[in-house]
Amino acid sequence: MLRKFKFFIDFDKEEKWLNEMAKKGYQFLHKSIFGYTFQESEPENTIIKIDFRRFKNQADFIDYITLFEDSGWKHVSGSKGSGAQYFKKIDPNAHDDIFSDQLSKAGKYKRLSEMFIELGLCYVPIFAALVATDAIDIAALFHPKQLYLTKGLWDMTGGEFWKAFLFETPFVIFRTLSWLFIPIMILLYFTFGYKAQMLFEKHKNQ
Amino acid sequence: MNRDKNLPLTETTYYVLLSLLEPAHGYIIMQKVEELSNHQVKIAAGTLYGAIENLLKQGMIQSVKSEDKRRKTYVITEKGKEVLKLDFYRMQHMIGITKELLNL
Repeated sequence: MLRKFKFFIDFDKEEKWLNEMAKKGYQFLHKSIFGYTFQESEPENTIIKIDFRRFKNQADFIDYITLFEDSGWKHVSGSKGSGAQYFKKIDPNAHDDIFSDQLSKAGKYKRLSEMFIELGLCYVPIFAALVATDAIDIAALFHPKQLYLTKGLWDMTGGEFWKAFLFETPFVIFRTLSWLFIPIMILLYFTFGYKAQMLFEKHKNQ
Repeated sequence: MNRDKNLPLTETTYYVLLSLLEPAHGYIIMQKVEELSNHQVKIAAGTLYGAIENLLKQGMIQSVKSEDKRRKTYVITEKGKEVLKLDFYRMQHMIGITKELLNL
């Protein structure tokens, strides 16, 4: 067993990587939030393709997987809500792709982009509420002296100052990072959403 | 005359609708489309799944009860038949006018 952690937005690159791993003798088993799991096996020329879909109920998910398995593609990894669905071609007579036109192939990037934007938007009201209730003090981020809560800290001098300053610094770092966590997540999600949208445009116009 | 907003149908959509004049599940649709199109149109699984989803949304097909627990079965609706006919007349006009102008 081999575990690898990697992050892809471009499914084409992810598919290529998984096929290269198979060629080196690492058969792809599944993917979770902890990364990819491979099993050591005979080197193999595989065709692994990824679709991106989330399902409302189990019946829809089973119907979807069955359609792929009927047409020669084994469902390797993915769950009802995971989004990314991994398929491996097992019937040599099957198509070489799980999409037969550019627009439907591009569509998975559209769905990926929508998911990232949705995730980003979920955090916006949470962030706004934390700012409104002063749980997050935005002004202090721009005036770092305000991040220190020790009374009269900036009027102290010499050893007294350094002792108090160094004592509080780890707390300040921790508090600031926790404040920054949500805005950074929002920014990341929107960036990924934008990147996926760009890939959608690229594939659509190919 | 205002043209129906669903027209023109793509080749894929046209054949999917034709193959659903009788109830069928996904894989049967794939095989029927290939057969009906003289092996010219082959729809891959991911593309077909998206096409079915769109046709359901547009009300041109509907799902029907089936014995099969793993596979959903669909059939064309009245609206679907209507759109199919409209697209047929559209293409018939194209064929007629082309015949006339090219003396075929």
